Amino acid sequence: MKPSAGLVVFKQGGALALLTNTKCECGHQNPVGTVLCEACGLPVQQEVAESDGLLEMRYEGAARRSQKSNPKLLDRIWNFFSSVKVAVYLIIITLLLSILGTLLPQVNVVPSYDPASYYAEEYGKLGELYYSLGLADTFGSWWYKGLVLMIAASLIICSLDRIIPLYKALKKQQPVKHETFLKRQKVLYIGEVADAESWLKEAEEAIRERRYQVTREGTSLLGEKNRFSRWGPYINHVGLIILLAALLTRGLPGWYMEQGFSVNEGQTVSIPGTNYYLKNLKFTEVKEVGPHVSGQELQFAFETDAILYRCVADCNNPFAEPQLEEVLQHKIRPNEPLKYDGYSIYQIDYAFSPQATIMTLNVLRDGQPIGELVLNLTDPAPAYQLGDVSVELTGYYPELTSVDGVPATKSRLPNNPAFILDMTLADGTTEQYFVVPFQQYQTRISGAEDSEPLTFEIGGMEASFYSSYLMVKVERALPYVLAGALIFLFGVVIGLYWQHRRIWVRIDGSRLIVAAHTNKNWYGLRDELAKILDKTGIEIDAKSLDNSGVGKS
Amino acid sequence: MVAFILYNLSFIVFGISVLGKRWSNRDADSHMRRWGGIGLWIAILGLISHASFTGLRWAASGHIPVSNLYEFLTFFGMMVTLAFIVIYAIYRKPLIGLFAMPLSVVIVAYGAVFPSAVTPLIPQLQSIWLYIHVTLAALGEAFLAVGFAAGFMYLLRTVNFKDRSASGKRQIRGVEYTLIALITLIAFIVLVFSFNGAGYRAEFVQTLIEEDELGQKVEVEQTVTYIIPPIVKPHNSVQVEMQPFLGMKEPLFEAPAWMKGVNAGRKLNTIIWSLAVGLILYGLIRLIIRRPLGAVVSPIMNGIDEQDLDEISYRAIAIGYPIFTLGALIFASIWAHQAWGRFWAWDPKETWALITWLFYTAYLHLRLSRGWQGTKSAWMSVIGFLIIMFTLIGVNLVIAGLHSYAGV
Amino acid sequence: MARNKWVQLTILAVIIAAGAFTIGANLSKTPAPKVGETAPNFSLYGLDGAAYELNDFIGHPVVLNFWGSFCEPCVREMPLLQKKYEKYRDQGLVVLGVNLDESTVTINNFIRGMNITFPILLDKNVVRKQYGVYNYPTTFFIDEKGVIRQEIVGEMNEGSLPSHDIEKAIKRLLSG
Repeated sequence: MKPSAGLVVFKQGGALALLTNTKCECGHQNPVGTVLCEACGLPVQQEVAESDGLLEMRYEGAARRSQKSNPKLLDRIWNFFSSVKVAVYLIIITLLLSILGTLLPQVNVVPSYDPASYYAEEYGKLGELYYSLGLADTFGSWWYKGLVLMIAASLIICSLDRIIPLYKALKKQQPVKHETFLKRQKVLYIGEVADAESWLKEAEEAIRERRYQVTREGTSLLGEKNRFSRWGPYINHVGLIILLAALLTRGLPGWYMEQGFSVNEGQTVSIPGTNYYLKNLKFTEVKEVGPHVSGQELQFAFETDAILYRCVADCNNPFAEPQLEEVLQHKIRPNEPLKYDGYSIYQIDYAFSPQATIMTLNVLRDGQPIGELVLNLTDPAPAYQLGDVSVELTGYYPELTSVDGVPATKSRLPNNPAFILDMTLADGTTEQYFVVPFQQYQTRISGAEDSEPLTFEIGGMEASFYSSYLMVKVERALPYVLAGALIFLFGVVIGLYWQHRRIWVRIDGSRLIVAAHTNKNWYGLRDELAKILDKTGIEIDAKSLDNSGVGKS
Repeated sequence: MVAFILYNLSFIVFGISVLGKRWSNRDADSHMRRWGGIGLWIAILGLISHASFTGLRWAASGHIPVSNLYEFLTFFGMMVTLAFIVIYAIYRKPLIGLFAMPLSVVIVAYGAVFPSAVTPLIPQLQSIWLYIHVTLAALGEAFLAVGFAAGFMYLLRTVNFKDRSASGKRQIRGVEYTLIALITLIAFIVLVFSFNGAGYRAEFVQTLIEEDELGQKVEVEQTVTYIIPPIVKPHNSVQVEMQPFLGMKEPLFEAPAWMKGVNAGRKLNTIIWSLAVGLILYGLIRLIIRRPLGAVVSPIMNGIDEQDLDEISYRAIAIGYPIFTLGALIFASIWAHQAWGRFWAWDPKETWALITWLFYTAYLHLRLSRGWQGTKSAWMSVIGFLIIMFTLIGVNLVIAGLHSYAGV
Repeated sequence: MARNKWVQLTILAVIIAAGAFTIGANLSKTPAPKVGETAPNFSLYGLDGAAYELNDFIGHPVVLNFWGSFCEPCVREMPLLQKKYEKYRDQGLVVLGVNLDESTVTINNFIRGMNITFPILLDKNVVRKQYGVYNYPTTFFIDEKGVIRQEIVGEMNEGSLPSHDIEKAIKRLLSG
């Protein structure tokens, strides 16, 4: 049963190609590299034909791209990525490197601006080594990404290499199979039947009952079910490819952004990286106490009542207020972000940090109020008008302290604000005052000696008690990542939970051969076949159908 | 209080079902079926009582009880029982119960070691996704655990304990290590319960130098309470109080400097104790039986078809894998995105879930495409389970992160 | 078959392109600039209301000082900076003081009190992050080509601590 080689010239879409084909005994032309004849299943590859073990049924014995002889560089690369062994190695290496990446905290959670020295200080020699090897940023490193890329290549090439021949082979298959093919299957029954036609009728009915699709040709029969389960692995690979490709799109401009920022109560800040502003109206800690279990706290939450604004003019000018237009209001809580225009703002954390925000100073002359100064303690305006007195704020120390006897500020936070006010009175005279409201201290630095100095009293104050930490995020790739993941899952489910089963029947005279194949769960297949044969009057034990004793190939 | 009683009840019932399983082995085939059936019904009863315990706790706390390590582990134990019952329904092999049920018991007992107070959910956990993600992840892992049980049974059945060849010895050692790990876990549980029950206490105050927000070096003092006699005390700490144990009035040595934090020393102490007692126990057993422990357990397995065990192990993993992927990875990411805006942050717990997933992916590829069946497959199911256990426990206790629960 | 070969090549090309895209993004991450690298360009408004861009000063040596009036060492070194500015101005030296997010009233008051004449730029936490400045004061010495030649973190002095000696740093910068 030697295959005969023929030299055939093919015309393919305009291009000429030279091919050697193998022609099977049954008359069918098989492409080079075919292991089992596409038509009758007879082994056409020499080594397989000459041995007598179980047939390797993967991919129906069809010719695969990666099995071509005489590989060039392109083919070698293709073969490398198409190999399952390589894929498993890639998975295991990724696994091991991921483990290393969890040993010490990664750079993105380390509370330091100088990672190199942080690792050395916190973890000693081990930390130093960890950082220098690049493990401190394992998952962002070029070699980790490279590995994932190789896995992606493997996914694509593995699948293409196999699915096309498999699809073609399964589509083309015929009910009539060569004896050798049948005898070398893993599930086999050989027996005798008196009347071929009537037995076949019974068999067909029994097989159809078990939801097989039956095709007949002469005295041969093919029953097949759940072919879709074979596509499972390829579908799940496609899902993964989509997922990885979606992750790749994060690099596109406008597809990904992540910025943390903080807002005090009452404050409006620019949302970094966007043209929007956020105002923190009020921050609330929510505590709910339950009726059971001795009045224990049951629920704890926190939220920022926020207003989103869009900047419409003067957005980058430090000397002018940006013109804002209100867009919407939302109570931002963990699990309930503010969403608008592709941006999402999440409540991440908060801090209790009381701070005065606006102070109103009443100005009095001889005990009579002449006006009030409303001072923004973050960035106070330089000029004010109190009736006929014009006031210029020429000095501001948010947290007054003294350095070598000279006033200075300890920080940018208004914990102890001090003001230098230049007053120009109606008659043109000028006076200068130094006012420290929290310390109830004020003095007239210069001005008319004979008149009573003006007095300043705190008339009102607004404060912020909480600092709310939020994060603005753009993640346009997300729906595609999810789609990829769900497609993956779908592929896994149809591949694992259903099995592709086929039963072949061949009757020559009175001799009956029944063979069967599945991609997994042979146990169940043998059971089912035994039940089917039982219906046709052949009683056998499922275990006896096992043909794996035939010299393992 | 009611919950506590119910919990104890279900614990006892689990125990009985395990015993029920053990009994089933010594008898002949029909007896096996009968006792196996009884064992199954007891397991189902245990499951129901555990489920009602869970339900009660849910009602009392207002949220599904999977929010801390104690709650999760007990829930996980319940899931393992459920997975076992499902697998039994498919294959009807009571012997699996012999390994799956004790596994469930050990997991629940281990969970009981951790603080069991009902605590309010932190805001990030207040979401429907908590329910879905954690329960599915637990269920998926439960099936993978049953896969481990069957796989380990396969090894006990097939490893030739008289084999003197290199590969044979490796197999024997592998089985022994797994058994040692199990004994160590049991030792840990016993240790904690006994010392805690006896009211043992030791206290240390540790002085750490930290930097505050202004960059100034500040001395911080933290106190830690040991419930197991301290062999090792926290780094740079002063003994406040220590009840003497076996004549030991002071810890033997101090934790190294790179073990930061007052709890690191205590955890190291716990690990040292567990390993020591586990090894001593194992050593004693070896001395008594004079053979590898696996060799003693192995004969129980005779009479069960190893091919079936292989098949069961694979099937359990095949059922668990998609559930695990869905629960531990997909739903976890969806929830993370909703709560924090980041669906994947390479947090150690997340990463270890990925590592688990990668491992079982490799398992499936090796089994389905490279023909790795039988022994190789069984070993992979054992390693896979170790990875899962590390994900659940090691990450929480050893590696800090978003997911950390309270430790012992 | 020729058609298949093209498919193979296309696939490999796509994969390589994807790789270049991801890993390329890695290599072009912009961390804080170090000595020897080009100083990142920025635009800020000055106290005088004018717009300043760093690249405008290419061709001149630039001393870029990050400061705040709340930071004592910054305050202490200011007069020194002013002195050096006056001394080397004619040689083309440019001194820029980048203020760290204080109110204009505060800055104005401070500048007037110290008689500072070099430009003060107003930064709202943007350029500071760009330059990786977390400790104050930090001063960058940038040459005519726009390359950072030296970075001094901490108060600069004259004559006492060589690593923080401003005269030495400027001399090095000017000598090229």
